[in-house]
Amino acid sequence: MECKTIREIVTGAAERFGDGDAVRYKAGKDKIEAKSYIQLKEDSERFAAALNTLGELGRHIALTGPTSYRWLTAYLGITGCGSVAVPLDVSLPAAEMCELLDRADATVFVFDEQRADVAAMAREKCPKLKYLISMQKGEAQDGVESFDRLLAAETPGFEREADPDALCTIMFTSGTTGKSKGVMLTQRNLAQNATCLDMRIPERTVLLTVLPIHHAYCLSMDILKGLSLGSIICINDSLLRVAKNIKLFEPNVILMVPLMIETLAKKLEEAALLPAAVVKAKVFGRQFHTIFSGGAYLNPAYIDLFARYGITILQGYGMTECSPVISTNLSWCVKKESVGRLMPNCEAKTVDGELWVRGGSVMMGYYGMPEETAETLHDGWLATGDLGYVDEEGYVFLTGRKKNLIITANGENVSPEELENRLGEQRLVQEILVRENADGVIEAEIFPDYDYAKKKRIADITAALQQLIDDYNAGAPAYKKIYSLKVRETEFEKTPSKKIKRY
Amino acid sequence: MFERLRDIIVKYVEVKAETITPESRFMEDLGFTSFDFMSMLGELEDEFDVEVDEQEAANIRTVGEAVAYLEKLSQA
Repeated sequence: MECKTIREIVTGAAERFGDGDAVRYKAGKDKIEAKSYIQLKEDSERFAAALNTLGELGRHIALTGPTSYRWLTAYLGITGCGSVAVPLDVSLPAAEMCELLDRADATVFVFDEQRADVAAMAREKCPKLKYLISMQKGEAQDGVESFDRLLAAETPGFEREADPDALCTIMFTSGTTGKSKGVMLTQRNLAQNATCLDMRIPERTVLLTVLPIHHAYCLSMDILKGLSLGSIICINDSLLRVAKNIKLFEPNVILMVPLMIETLAKKLEEAALLPAAVVKAKVFGRQFHTIFSGGAYLNPAYIDLFARYGITILQGYGMTECSPVISTNLSWCVKKESVGRLMPNCEAKTVDGELWVRGGSVMMGYYGMPEETAETLHDGWLATGDLGYVDEEGYVFLTGRKKNLIITANGENVSPEELENRLGEQRLVQEILVRENADGVIEAEIFPDYDYAKKKRIADITAALQQLIDDYNAGAPAYKKIYSLKVRETEFEKTPSKKIKRY
Repeated sequence: MFERLRDIIVKYVEVKAETITPESRFMEDLGFTSFDFMSMLGELEDEFDVEVDEQEAANIRTVGEAVAYLEKLSQA
């Protein structure tokens, strides 16, 4: 059933699946707690009512934390009453998160206590912020509200219709300019992306959600699609414990990025001498059958490998700007080299080799960035930045990336210019190029300022550069760290406009 | 401790056990991806019966640092 708003998904699921488990999560070692579809709906309505009481209905509400029942309650509450959710990456450095809070015009910040540092900094740096809400604190104190207290003070049933075409979620993604962009998605963008395609996933399928919740792929496919199908959504508490949690929750389906699939492939190969069924039961459990892959390119060899163990890998393609799924392979129609068939709400064309798409899931634009929006949206068509084409049966084939953006194996986007600009501020760095090297790690190639080094009597230039990189790495999120350094003796080759030639 | 850790490392990356030293760096020298590394930590939790803290673990770069961290956890 196709939905137009997120609240439609939640209320529809509560009617159909009522007391059935919606969310399962760990509460202590090997102990599972669960919340039903009705509880999830009612708790989200309580949160919406709390926003109303605070006078923040319709405003921009930021939230950060690892995936949790409270996070989901907050998100569904915010979007269910027509307010705007701004999910932020829990691993961002505090200063960067404050910058995004400010840029997104957030008036409320709902946070997991592991980011109490951001809340403290935001008090100083984010003047637009009116309320801080802690997901763990049992009582309000020192100007921080307690999430549980706010909910307890309200009754369920709060209603406020959301306009399907109104802004619903701002998701930050990094772009080539180096400054992360806030993708504006409407209720319809997200709800339609999650519900317009019948993937023949049976109701009450058990899925384990392992990807970061601020990613559009996880939010749309694991959560919104999962809810619309009455799935039992099990929360993986840490990437350390994926293998353990597979045994604990016994999922049928997991949504992954290629990096995870590669690691699990090693596990399978390690036991290659044993019968396939035994290995599969040991690593994934007998009930497991499907992996959805997205976020980055997956080598098709893995599809064959997993098929030998009775596991189907369905590769899809998308981007946050398209809520995010553009195409997906389905178990009954797969073309291995393709990233799947276009979604039914999406049409595509190729312009100068670049894939453009249009349809119900294409974003409104970038928040507060009209120029960047105009570069990306053309008359409703979204320029994907990917080189590719669609065949006569609607299957999408990708041939390369138009921009220089580095997409790491776990799907994080890293803009090389951003890192280059940061390190280029150092006097010792005359020219710098950042890229992904042949081993798939981020590498910086630097032409040092030899005159400066001589003047400053720097004997070991490589060590000095490594020190600069170590200093930068100390403050950078894991996916933006530089793991390899190359030092040049000569300048880089330049284009006529004096830009370093990338390739 | 070092030998036990070394035996687990070779299950995740293609390196010979004898080439691994306490100075070996997981990502740069041994070729770990971040997810390999996390998965291995999960296995170490079982092997050494400890609870690893994700944030603390993120600062580990070398095999020697991992050994020191595990020793600290097992003593606690």
